[in-house]
Amino acid sequence: MHERLSFHIKRDSVLHRLNPLTKLTLVLALIMVAFTSPWYWTPHLLFLFVIIPLSFIGKVFREFFFAATRLILPAAGFLFLMQAFFQPIGEHVIFKFYFLDITQESLMFAFKNAMRVIVMVSSFTLFLLTTHPSELMSDLTRRGLPGQFAYVIISTLQILPQIQSKSQTIISAQRSRGLDTEGNFFKRAGSLVPLVGPLVFGSLVEVEERAIAIEARGFTSKSIKTSLYEIADTSFEKIIRWGLIIIIILSIVLNIWL
Amino acid sequence: MKIEINDLRFTYPTGLEALQGISLTIEAGEQVAIVGQNGAGKTTLVRHFNGLLQPSSGSVLIGEWDTKKHSVAKLASRVGYVFQNPDEQLFSKDVGTEIRFGPRNLGYSKEKIDELVTRALSLTELSDKTDTNPYDLSPTWRKMAALASVIAMDTPIVIFDEPTTGQDAVNVARIANVIAELRKEGKTVITITHDIDFCAENFDRVIALSNGKILLDGSARDVLGQEEILAQTYVDPPQLTRLGKRLGLKETVRNQDEFLKALK
Repeated sequence: MHERLSFHIKRDSVLHRLNPLTKLTLVLALIMVAFTSPWYWTPHLLFLFVIIPLSFIGKVFREFFFAATRLILPAAGFLFLMQAFFQPIGEHVIFKFYFLDITQESLMFAFKNAMRVIVMVSSFTLFLLTTHPSELMSDLTRRGLPGQFAYVIISTLQILPQIQSKSQTIISAQRSRGLDTEGNFFKRAGSLVPLVGPLVFGSLVEVEERAIAIEARGFTSKSIKTSLYEIADTSFEKIIRWGLIIIIILSIVLNIWL
Repeated sequence: MKIEINDLRFTYPTGLEALQGISLTIEAGEQVAIVGQNGAGKTTLVRHFNGLLQPSSGSVLIGEWDTKKHSVAKLASRVGYVFQNPDEQLFSKDVGTEIRFGPRNLGYSKEKIDELVTRALSLTELSDKTDTNPYDLSPTWRKMAALASVIAMDTPIVIFDEPTTGQDAVNVARIANVIAELRKEGKTVITITHDIDFCAENFDRVIALSNGKILLDGSARDVLGQEEILAQTYVDPPQLTRLGKRLGLKETVRNQDEFLKALK
Protein backbone atom coordinates (compact mmCIF):
# COMPACT_ATOMS: atom_id res chain seq x y z
CA MET A 1 0.00 0.00 0.00
CA HIS A 2 2.87 2.36 0.78
CA GLU A 3 5.14 1.52 -2.12
CA ARG A 4 5.40 5.13 -3.28
CA LEU A 5 8.69 6.10 -1.74
CA SER A 6 10.92 5.33 -4.70
CA PHE A 7 10.21 7.30 -7.85
CA HIS A 8 10.28 4.15 -9.92
CA ILE A 9 7.38 3.66 -12.32
CA LYS A 10 7.05 0.10 -13.49
CA ARG A 11 6.71 0.13 -17.27
CA ASP A 12 8.14 -1.72 -20.19
CA SER A 13 10.39 0.46 -22.32
CA VAL A 14 13.85 0.48 -23.87
CA LEU A 15 14.95 2.84 -21.14
CA HIS A 16 13.63 0.53 -18.41
CA ARG A 17 15.39 -2.44 -19.95
CA LEU A 18 18.80 -0.72 -20.15
CA ASN A 19 21.34 -1.81 -17.60
CA PRO A 20 21.24 0.56 -14.60
CA LEU A 21 24.94 1.33 -14.93
CA THR A 22 24.46 2.42 -18.54
CA LYS A 23 21.75 4.82 -17.45
CA LEU A 24 23.88 6.09 -14.60
CA THR A 25 26.80 6.71 -16.97
CA LEU A 26 24.46 8.52 -19.33
CA VAL A 27 23.27 10.76 -16.51
CA LEU A 28 26.85 11.56 -15.53
CA ALA A 29 27.80 12.28 -19.13
CA LEU A 30 24.81 14.63 -19.55
CA ILE A 31 25.71 16.50 -16.40
CA MET A 32 29.39 16.77 -17.24
CA VAL A 33 28.72 18.04 -20.73
CA ALA A 34 26.09 20.51 -19.52
CA PHE A 35 28.47 21.94 -16.94
CA THR A 36 31.70 22.00 -18.89
CA SER A 37 30.68 22.77 -22.44
CA PRO A 38 32.04 26.17 -23.51
CA TRP A 39 29.12 26.73 -25.86
CA TYR A 40 26.35 28.75 -24.27
CA TRP A 41 23.33 26.82 -25.53
CA THR A 42 24.57 23.31 -24.63
CA PRO A 43 22.43 22.72 -21.49
CA HIS A 44 19.33 24.14 -23.17
CA LEU A 45 19.70 21.89 -26.18
CA LEU A 46 20.52 18.85 -24.06
CA PHE A 47 17.32 19.34 -22.13
CA LEU A 48 15.14 19.90 -25.19
CA PHE A 49 16.62 17.34 -27.54
CA VAL A 50 17.97 14.60 -25.27
CA ILE A 51 16.23 14.54 -21.92
CA ILE A 52 12.68 15.29 -23.02
CA PRO A 53 12.79 12.77 -25.91
CA LEU A 54 14.26 10.21 -23.50
CA SER A 55 11.30 10.70 -21.19
CA PHE A 56 9.04 9.75 -24.12
CA ILE A 57 11.18 6.73 -24.95
CA GLY A 58 10.97 5.70 -21.29
CA LYS A 59 7.14 6.13 -21.42
CA VAL A 60 7.28 8.31 -18.34
CA PHE A 61 6.73 11.76 -19.86
CA ARG A 62 3.63 12.47 -17.78
CA GLU A 63 5.34 11.66 -14.49
CA PHE A 64 8.50 13.39 -15.64
CA PHE A 65 6.58 16.53 -16.54
CA PHE A 66 4.83 16.41 -13.19
CA ALA A 67 8.11 16.13 -11.27
CA ALA A 68 9.68 18.84 -13.41
CA THR A 69 6.94 21.39 -12.83
CA ARG A 70 6.49 20.66 -9.17
CA LEU A 71 10.06 20.07 -8.08
CA ILE A 72 12.67 21.15 -10.56
CA LEU A 73 11.25 24.38 -11.98
CA PRO A 74 10.64 26.11 -8.64
CA ALA A 75 14.17 25.31 -7.47
CA ALA A 76 15.74 26.35 -10.75
CA GLY A 77 13.56 29.47 -10.82
CA PHE A 78 14.79 30.48 -7.40
CA LEU A 79 18.39 29.91 -8.46
CA PHE A 80 17.78 31.96 -11.59
CA LEU A 81 16.42 34.93 -9.61
CA MET A 82 19.23 34.82 -7.07
CA GLN A 83 21.92 34.77 -9.70
CA ALA A 84 20.26 37.34 -11.91
CA PHE A 85 20.12 39.77 -9.00
CA PHE A 86 23.39 39.11 -7.26
CA GLN A 87 25.86 38.48 -10.10
CA PRO A 88 27.92 41.68 -10.18
CA ILE A 89 28.83 41.39 -13.85
CA GLY A 90 28.07 43.29 -17.04
CA GLU A 91 27.32 46.90 -17.89
CA HIS A 92 24.02 46.70 -19.78
CA VAL A 93 21.69 47.37 -16.89
CA ILE A 94 18.12 46.38 -17.66
CA PHE A 95 16.48 46.85 -14.32
CA LYS A 96 17.51 48.59 -11.12
CA PHE A 97 16.07 48.27 -7.66
CA TYR A 98 18.02 49.98 -4.86
CA PHE A 99 21.36 48.17 -4.73
CA LEU A 100 20.10 45.29 -6.87
CA ASP A 101 20.54 45.52 -10.58
CA ILE A 102 19.93 43.11 -13.39
CA THR A 103 22.22 43.33 -16.34
CA GLN A 104 21.95 41.57 -19.65
CA GLU A 105 25.06 39.60 -18.76
CA SER A 106 23.87 38.48 -15.35
CA LEU A 107 20.57 37.45 -16.89
CA MET A 108 22.32 35.31 -19.48
CA PHE A 109 24.58 33.85 -16.83
CA ALA A 110 21.68 33.02 -14.53
CA PHE A 111 19.73 31.45 -17.38
CA LYS A 112 22.62 29.15 -18.26
CA ASN A 113 23.23 28.11 -14.67
CA ALA A 114 19.58 27.44 -14.00
CA MET A 115 19.49 25.34 -17.16
CA ARG A 116 22.54 23.39 -16.01
CA VAL A 117 20.81 22.59 -12.74
CA ILE A 118 17.67 21.60 -14.61
CA VAL A 119 19.69 19.20 -16.77
CA MET A 120 21.31 17.72 -13.67
CA VAL A 121 18.16 17.22 -11.65
CA SER A 122 15.89 16.22 -14.52
CA SER A 123 18.30 13.62 -15.86
CA PHE A 124 18.52 12.12 -12.37
CA THR A 125 14.76 12.20 -12.08
CA LEU A 126 14.45 10.36 -15.36
CA PHE A 127 16.98 7.82 -14.12
CA LEU A 128 15.05 7.25 -10.89
CA LEU A 129 11.75 7.02 -12.74
CA THR A 130 12.97 4.22 -14.96
CA THR A 131 15.23 2.29 -12.58
CA HIS A 132 14.12 0.27 -9.60
CA PRO A 133 16.43 1.03 -6.67
CA SER A 134 17.01 -2.61 -5.81
CA GLU A 135 17.87 -3.36 -9.43
CA LEU A 136 20.43 -0.59 -9.38
CA MET A 137 21.87 -1.77 -6.09
CA SER A 138 22.12 -5.43 -7.02
CA ASP A 139 23.81 -4.47 -10.28
CA LEU A 140 26.29 -2.23 -8.49
CA THR A 141 26.93 -4.83 -5.78
CA ARG A 142 27.64 -7.40 -8.47
CA ARG A 143 30.22 -4.98 -9.84
CA GLY A 144 31.94 -4.70 -6.48
CA LEU A 145 30.04 -2.07 -4.51
CA PRO A 146 30.20 -3.06 -0.82
CA GLY A 147 27.01 -4.83 0.29
CA GLN A 148 26.78 -2.66 3.39
CA PHE A 149 26.50 0.45 1.26
CA ALA A 150 23.73 -1.05 -0.84
CA TYR A 151 21.97 -2.17 2.33
CA VAL A 152 21.94 1.33 3.77
CA ILE A 153 20.30 2.71 0.63
CA ILE A 154 17.79 -0.10 0.13
CA SER A 155 16.82 -0.48 3.76
CA THR A 156 16.19 3.24 4.06
CA LEU A 157 13.87 3.12 1.08
CA GLN A 158 12.07 0.13 2.58
CA ILE A 159 11.94 1.27 6.19
CA LEU A 160 10.49 4.71 5.55
CA PRO A 161 7.13 3.50 4.19
CA GLN A 162 6.98 1.04 7.08
CA ILE A 163 7.57 3.81 9.58
CA GLN A 164 4.86 5.76 7.85
CA SER A 165 2.27 3.01 8.30
CA LYS A 166 3.51 2.29 11.82
CA SER A 167 3.04 5.92 12.81
CA GLN A 168 -0.50 5.77 11.42
CA THR A 169 -1.25 2.81 13.69
CA ILE A 170 0.26 4.56 16.70
CA ILE A 171 -1.78 7.68 16.04
CA SER A 172 -4.91 5.53 15.80
CA ALA A 173 -4.07 3.71 19.03
CA GLN A 174 -3.50 6.92 20.98
CA ARG A 175 -6.56 8.66 19.57
CA SER A 176 -8.54 5.62 20.73
CA ARG A 177 -7.24 6.42 24.20
CA GLY A 178 -8.73 9.87 23.98
CA LEU A 179 -5.66 11.74 22.75
CA ASP A 180 -6.82 14.89 21.03
CA THR A 181 -4.56 15.51 18.06
CA GLU A 182 -6.39 18.65 17.11
CA GLY A 183 -6.46 22.03 18.83
CA ASN A 184 -3.89 24.74 19.43
CA PHE A 185 -0.14 24.51 18.97
CA PHE A 186 0.74 23.70 22.58
CA LYS A 187 -1.87 21.01 22.78
CA ARG A 188 -0.56 19.47 19.59
CA ALA A 189 3.07 19.70 20.68
CA GLY A 190 2.11 17.97 23.93
CA SER A 191 0.38 15.19 22.03
CA LEU A 192 3.62 14.42 20.20
CA VAL A 193 5.21 12.54 23.10
CA PRO A 194 2.76 9.60 23.05
CA LEU A 195 3.28 9.36 19.30
CA VAL A 196 7.03 9.72 19.00
CA GLY A 197 7.93 7.43 21.92
CA PRO A 198 6.53 4.18 20.53
CA LEU A 199 7.61 5.12 17.02
CA VAL A 200 11.27 5.68 17.86
CA PHE A 201 11.47 2.71 20.18
CA GLY A 202 9.67 0.41 17.74
CA SER A 203 11.82 1.54 14.84
CA LEU A 204 15.03 0.90 16.76
CA VAL A 205 13.85 -2.59 17.64
CA GLU A 206 12.92 -3.17 14.01
CA VAL A 207 16.32 -2.06 12.74
CA GLU A 208 18.01 -4.46 15.13
CA GLU A 209 15.75 -7.31 14.10
CA ARG A 210 16.47 -6.61 10.46
CA ALA A 211 20.20 -6.66 11.12
CA ILE A 212 19.91 -10.00 12.90
CA ALA A 213 17.69 -11.42 10.17
CA ILE A 214 20.05 -10.57 7.33
CA GLU A 215 23.06 -11.68 9.34
CA ALA A 216 21.32 -15.02 9.89
CA ARG A 217 21.34 -15.32 6.12
CA GLY A 218 25.06 -14.70 5.87
CA PHE A 219 25.13 -11.00 5.03
CA THR A 220 28.73 -10.44 6.11
CA SER A 221 29.93 -13.75 4.69
CA LYS A 222 33.02 -13.22 2.55
CA SER A 223 32.14 -15.86 0.00
CA ILE A 224 30.87 -14.84 -3.43
CA LYS A 225 27.09 -14.55 -3.49
CA THR A 226 24.79 -15.45 -6.30
CA SER A 227 21.92 -13.22 -7.27
CA LEU A 228 18.32 -14.27 -7.77
CA TYR A 229 17.84 -11.65 -10.44
CA GLU A 230 19.66 -11.67 -13.71
CA ILE A 231 20.28 -8.09 -14.81
CA ALA A 232 20.79 -7.85 -18.54
CA ASP A 233 23.97 -6.26 -19.79
CA THR A 234 24.77 -6.54 -23.49
CA SER A 235 28.11 -5.90 -25.16
CA PHE A 236 26.37 -3.15 -27.11
CA GLU A 237 25.66 -1.39 -23.83
CA LYS A 238 29.30 -1.78 -22.85
CA ILE A 239 30.32 0.02 -26.02
CA ILE A 240 27.82 2.79 -25.29
CA ARG A 241 29.20 3.12 -21.77
CA TRP A 242 32.75 3.40 -23.01
CA GLY A 243 31.63 6.01 -25.51
CA LEU A 244 29.97 7.97 -22.72
CA ILE A 245 33.05 7.68 -20.51
CA ILE A 246 35.17 9.06 -23.33
CA ILE A 247 32.75 11.99 -23.61
CA ILE A 248 33.01 12.59 -19.87
CA ILE A 249 36.82 12.52 -19.98
CA LEU A 250 36.89 14.74 -23.07
CA SER A 251 34.66 17.32 -21.44
CA ILE A 252 36.89 17.40 -18.37
CA VAL A 253 40.07 17.65 -20.45
CA LEU A 254 38.60 20.33 -22.68
CA ASN A 255 37.54 22.28 -19.64
CA ILE A 256 40.99 22.22 -18.09
CA TRP A 257 42.69 22.85 -21.40
CA LEU A 258 40.57 25.72 -22.61
CA MET B 1 -24.64 0.92 25.42
CA LYS B 2 -26.18 -0.26 22.19
CA ILE B 3 -24.27 -0.40 18.93
CA GLU B 4 -26.28 -0.13 15.73
CA ILE B 5 -24.73 -0.64 12.35
CA ASN B 6 -26.78 0.04 9.29
CA ASP B 7 -25.76 -1.20 5.85
CA LEU B 8 -22.15 -0.26 6.51
CA ARG B 9 -19.90 -0.18 3.48
CA PHE B 10 -16.26 0.77 3.42
CA THR B 11 -13.84 1.05 0.54
CA TYR B 12 -10.14 1.74 1.09
CA PRO B 13 -8.46 4.41 -1.04
CA THR B 14 -6.78 1.57 -2.94
CA GLY B 15 -10.21 0.52 -4.16
CA LEU B 16 -10.48 -2.52 -1.91
CA GLU B 17 -14.06 -2.99 -0.78
CA ALA B 18 -13.39 -4.16 2.75
CA LEU B 19 -16.97 -4.03 4.04
CA GLN B 20 -19.85 -4.76 1.71
CA GLY B 21 -23.05 -3.94 3.52
CA ILE B 22 -22.97 -4.92 7.18
CA SER B 23 -26.04 -4.52 9.36
CA LEU B 24 -25.71 -5.46 12.97
CA THR B 25 -27.04 -4.62 16.41
CA ILE B 26 -25.06 -5.31 19.56
CA GLU B 27 -27.02 -4.82 22.78
CA ALA B 28 -25.49 -3.38 25.93
CA GLY B 29 -23.56 -5.96 27.93
CA GLU B 30 -23.15 -8.50 25.14
CA GLN B 31 -19.92 -10.51 24.78
CA VAL B 32 -19.22 -10.82 21.09
CA ALA B 33 -16.39 -12.58 19.29
CA ILE B 34 -15.64 -11.71 15.67
CA VAL B 35 -13.93 -14.45 13.67
CA GLY B 36 -12.96 -14.91 10.05
CA GLN B 37 -10.01 -15.37 7.74
CA ASN B 38 -7.32 -12.72 7.35
CA GLY B 39 -8.62 -9.87 5.24
CA ALA B 40 -12.27 -10.69 6.01
CA GLY B 41 -12.77 -7.16 7.33
CA LYS B 42 -12.75 -7.77 11.10
CA THR B 43 -10.38 -4.95 12.02
CA THR B 44 -11.92 -2.64 9.43
CA LEU B 45 -15.32 -3.25 11.02
CA VAL B 46 -14.32 -2.56 14.61
CA ARG B 47 -12.34 0.53 13.62
CA HIS B 48 -15.68 2.01 12.66
CA PHE B 49 -16.93 1.63 16.22
CA ASN B 50 -14.76 4.43 17.58
CA GLY B 51 -14.57 6.53 14.44
CA LEU B 52 -11.02 5.63 13.39
CA LEU B 53 -12.59 4.78 10.05
CA GLN B 54 -15.60 6.55 8.61
CA PRO B 55 -18.20 4.63 6.59
CA SER B 56 -18.13 5.09 2.82
CA SER B 57 -21.88 4.63 3.14
CA GLY B 58 -24.27 3.47 5.85
CA SER B 59 -24.01 4.44 9.48
CA VAL B 60 -22.64 3.39 12.85
CA LEU B 61 -24.44 4.46 16.00
CA ILE B 62 -22.84 4.17 19.43
CA GLY B 63 -25.74 4.80 21.79
CA GLU B 64 -27.38 7.80 20.14
CA TRP B 65 -24.06 9.11 18.75
CA ASP B 66 -23.45 8.82 15.04
CA THR B 67 -19.70 8.16 14.64
CA LYS B 68 -19.65 10.56 11.70
CA LYS B 69 -20.57 13.45 13.97
CA HIS B 70 -18.08 12.84 16.80
CA SER B 71 -14.30 12.88 16.96
CA VAL B 72 -12.31 9.79 17.88
CA ALA B 73 -11.18 11.52 21.08
CA LYS B 74 -14.84 12.08 21.99
CA LEU B 75 -15.92 8.55 21.08
CA ALA B 76 -13.07 7.25 23.26
CA SER B 77 -15.29 7.97 26.25
CA ARG B 78 -17.72 5.33 25.00
CA VAL B 79 -15.55 2.84 23.15
CA GLY B 80 -12.19 1.59 24.45
CA TYR B 81 -10.00 -0.11 21.87
CA VAL B 82 -7.01 -2.29 22.75
CA PHE B 83 -4.75 -2.56 19.73
CA GLN B 84 -3.07 -5.78 18.77
CA ASN B 85 0.49 -4.70 19.42
CA PRO B 86 1.08 -3.10 22.83
CA ASP B 87 4.37 -1.61 21.58
CA GLU B 88 2.35 0.70 19.37
CA GLN B 89 0.81 2.49 22.31
CA LEU B 90 3.06 2.29 25.38
CA PHE B 91 5.16 5.42 25.85
CA SER B 92 5.27 6.36 29.53
CA LYS B 93 8.18 5.84 31.87
CA ASP B 94 6.17 3.64 34.21
CA VAL B 95 3.07 1.46 34.08
CA GLY B 96 1.09 3.65 36.48
CA THR B 97 1.50 6.79 34.37
CA GLU B 98 0.74 4.82 31.24
CA ILE B 99 -2.59 3.65 32.63
CA ARG B 100 -3.53 7.14 33.85
CA PHE B 101 -3.11 8.52 30.35
CA GLY B 102 -6.50 7.36 29.00
CA PRO B 103 -8.73 8.36 31.92
CA ARG B 104 -6.91 11.70 32.19
CA ASN B 105 -7.66 12.40 28.52
CA LEU B 106 -11.31 11.74 29.27
CA GLY B 107 -11.24 14.45 31.93
CA TYR B 108 -12.28 12.42 34.98
CA SER B 109 -11.71 13.82 38.47
CA LYS B 110 -8.47 12.90 40.22
CA GLU B 111 -10.24 10.66 42.74
CA LYS B 112 -12.06 8.82 39.99
CA ILE B 113 -8.83 8.37 38.03
CA ASP B 114 -7.05 6.95 41.08
CA GLU B 115 -9.88 4.55 41.66
CA LEU B 116 -10.06 3.44 38.01
CA VAL B 117 -6.30 2.96 37.78
CA THR B 118 -6.19 0.86 40.94
CA ARG B 119 -9.04 -1.29 39.69
CA ALA B 120 -7.45 -1.77 36.25
CA LEU B 121 -4.11 -2.65 37.85
CA SER B 122 -5.65 -5.29 40.08
CA LEU B 123 -7.82 -6.72 37.28
CA THR B 124 -4.78 -7.23 35.10
CA GLU B 125 -2.64 -8.36 38.06
CA LEU B 126 -0.19 -5.53 37.47
CA SER B 127 -0.46 -4.01 40.95
CA ASP B 128 3.14 -4.91 41.87
CA LYS B 129 4.49 -3.50 38.61
CA THR B 130 3.13 0.05 38.85
CA ASP B 131 6.57 1.67 38.89
CA THR B 132 8.16 -0.53 36.24
CA ASN B 133 9.00 0.91 32.85
CA PRO B 134 6.63 -0.79 30.37
CA TYR B 135 9.55 -1.70 28.15
CA ASP B 136 11.22 -3.61 30.99
CA LEU B 137 8.19 -5.89 31.12
CA SER B 138 7.99 -9.13 29.17
CA PRO B 139 5.77 -9.05 26.05
CA THR B 140 2.94 -10.80 27.93
CA TRP B 141 2.94 -8.18 30.68
CA ARG B 142 3.20 -5.38 28.15
CA LYS B 143 0.03 -6.78 26.65
CA MET B 144 -1.62 -6.65 30.08
CA ALA B 145 -0.42 -3.06 30.54
CA ALA B 146 -2.05 -2.13 27.24
CA LEU B 147 -5.24 -3.87 28.34
CA ALA B 148 -5.19 -2.07 31.69
CA SER B 149 -4.61 1.30 30.05
CA VAL B 150 -7.85 0.91 28.10
CA ILE B 151 -9.91 -0.75 30.85
CA ALA B 152 -9.06 2.16 33.15
CA MET B 153 -10.98 4.44 30.78
CA ASP B 154 -14.15 2.79 32.09
CA THR B 155 -15.92 2.81 28.75
CA PRO B 156 -19.24 0.98 28.36
CA ILE B 157 -17.85 -0.76 25.27
CA VAL B 158 -14.41 -2.41 25.11
CA ILE B 159 -12.84 -3.79 21.95
CA PHE B 160 -9.93 -6.24 21.94
CA ASP B 161 -8.03 -6.88 18.74
CA GLU B 162 -6.57 -10.38 18.94
CA PRO B 163 -5.82 -10.30 22.66
CA THR B 164 -4.49 -13.86 22.92
CA THR B 165 -2.08 -13.91 19.97
CA GLY B 166 1.36 -14.95 21.15
CA GLN B 167 0.27 -15.37 24.77
CA ASP B 168 0.90 -18.40 26.96
CA ALA B 169 -1.90 -20.36 28.67
CA VAL B 170 -1.50 -18.50 31.98
CA ASN B 171 -1.91 -15.14 30.32
CA VAL B 172 -4.80 -16.30 28.15
CA ALA B 173 -6.54 -17.29 31.41
CA ARG B 174 -5.76 -13.82 32.81
CA ILE B 175 -7.31 -12.16 29.77
CA ALA B 176 -10.37 -14.42 30.03
CA ASN B 177 -10.66 -13.35 33.63
CA VAL B 178 -10.55 -9.68 32.66
CA ILE B 179 -13.34 -10.27 30.14
CA ALA B 180 -15.42 -12.11 32.76
CA GLU B 181 -15.03 -9.18 35.16
CA LEU B 182 -16.07 -6.70 32.47
CA ARG B 183 -19.13 -8.85 31.81
CA LYS B 184 -20.05 -8.68 35.50
CA GLU B 185 -19.84 -4.90 35.31
CA GLY B 186 -22.32 -4.98 32.43
CA LYS B 187 -19.89 -3.80 29.78
CA THR B 188 -20.06 -4.76 26.13
CA VAL B 189 -16.96 -6.68 25.04
CA ILE B 190 -16.15 -7.16 21.39
CA THR B 191 -13.14 -9.30 20.54
CA ILE B 192 -11.48 -10.11 17.27
CA THR B 193 -9.83 -13.49 17.55
CA HIS B 194 -8.31 -16.37 15.64
CA ASP B 195 -8.17 -18.40 18.84
CA ILE B 196 -11.32 -20.46 18.44
CA ASP B 197 -11.04 -22.21 21.82
CA PHE B 198 -10.79 -18.83 23.53
CA CYS B 199 -13.80 -17.73 21.50
CA ALA B 200 -15.84 -20.82 22.43
CA GLU B 201 -15.05 -20.57 26.14
CA ASN B 202 -15.63 -16.86 26.70
CA PHE B 203 -18.24 -15.50 24.31
CA ASP B 204 -22.01 -15.82 24.04
CA ARG B 205 -22.29 -14.51 20.55
CA VAL B 206 -20.07 -15.16 17.56
CA ILE B 207 -20.03 -13.25 14.29
CA ALA B 208 -18.18 -14.84 11.37
CA LEU B 209 -17.08 -12.47 8.63
CA SER B 210 -16.02 -13.40 5.15
CA ASN B 211 -14.98 -11.02 2.38
CA GLY B 212 -16.57 -8.02 4.03
CA LYS B 213 -19.90 -9.68 4.67
CA ILE B 214 -21.50 -11.38 7.63
CA LEU B 215 -21.37 -15.10 7.06
CA LEU B 216 -22.89 -16.21 10.38
CA ASP B 217 -24.19 -14.33 13.38
CA GLY B 218 -25.71 -16.01 16.39
CA SER B 219 -25.10 -17.73 19.69
CA ALA B 220 -21.66 -19.32 19.98
CA ARG B 221 -23.34 -22.72 20.05
CA ASP B 222 -25.19 -22.20 16.78
CA VAL B 223 -22.32 -20.58 14.92
CA LEU B 224 -19.62 -23.02 16.01
CA GLY B 225 -21.89 -25.90 15.02
CA GLN B 226 -21.87 -24.83 11.36
CA GLU B 227 -18.62 -26.48 10.40
CA GLU B 228 -19.16 -26.35 6.61
CA ILE B 229 -20.13 -22.69 6.51
CA LEU B 230 -17.29 -21.67 8.83
CA ALA B 231 -14.88 -23.49 6.52
CA GLN B 232 -15.68 -20.83 3.90
CA THR B 233 -13.83 -18.29 6.00
CA TYR B 234 -11.13 -20.76 7.09
CA VAL B 235 -12.36 -21.14 10.66
CA ASP B 236 -12.30 -24.57 12.30
CA PRO B 237 -14.70 -25.11 15.20
CA PRO B 238 -12.96 -26.16 18.44
CA GLN B 239 -11.68 -29.73 18.46
CA LEU B 240 -14.18 -30.79 21.13
CA THR B 241 -17.05 -29.41 19.07
CA ARG B 242 -15.87 -31.35 16.04
CA LEU B 243 -15.31 -34.48 18.09
CA GLY B 244 -18.79 -34.15 19.55
CA LYS B 245 -20.19 -33.94 16.01
CA ARG B 246 -18.31 -37.07 14.94
CA LEU B 247 -19.56 -38.90 18.01
CA GLY B 248 -23.06 -37.97 16.99
CA LEU B 249 -23.87 -35.91 20.09
CA LYS B 250 -27.24 -34.22 19.73
CA GLU B 251 -26.16 -30.85 21.11
CA THR B 252 -23.26 -28.79 19.82
CA VAL B 253 -20.69 -28.71 22.60
CA ARG B 254 -18.29 -25.84 23.12
CA ASN B 255 -16.09 -26.83 26.06
CA GLN B 256 -15.07 -29.71 28.30
CA ASP B 257 -18.00 -29.34 30.72
CA GLU B 258 -20.58 -29.44 27.98
CA PHE B 259 -18.78 -32.30 26.29
CA LEU B 260 -18.67 -34.42 29.45
CA LYS B 261 -22.28 -33.60 30.27
CA ALA B 262 -23.40 -34.63 26.80
CA LEU B 263 -21.55 -37.92 27.07
CA LYS B 264 -23.35 -38.97 30.24
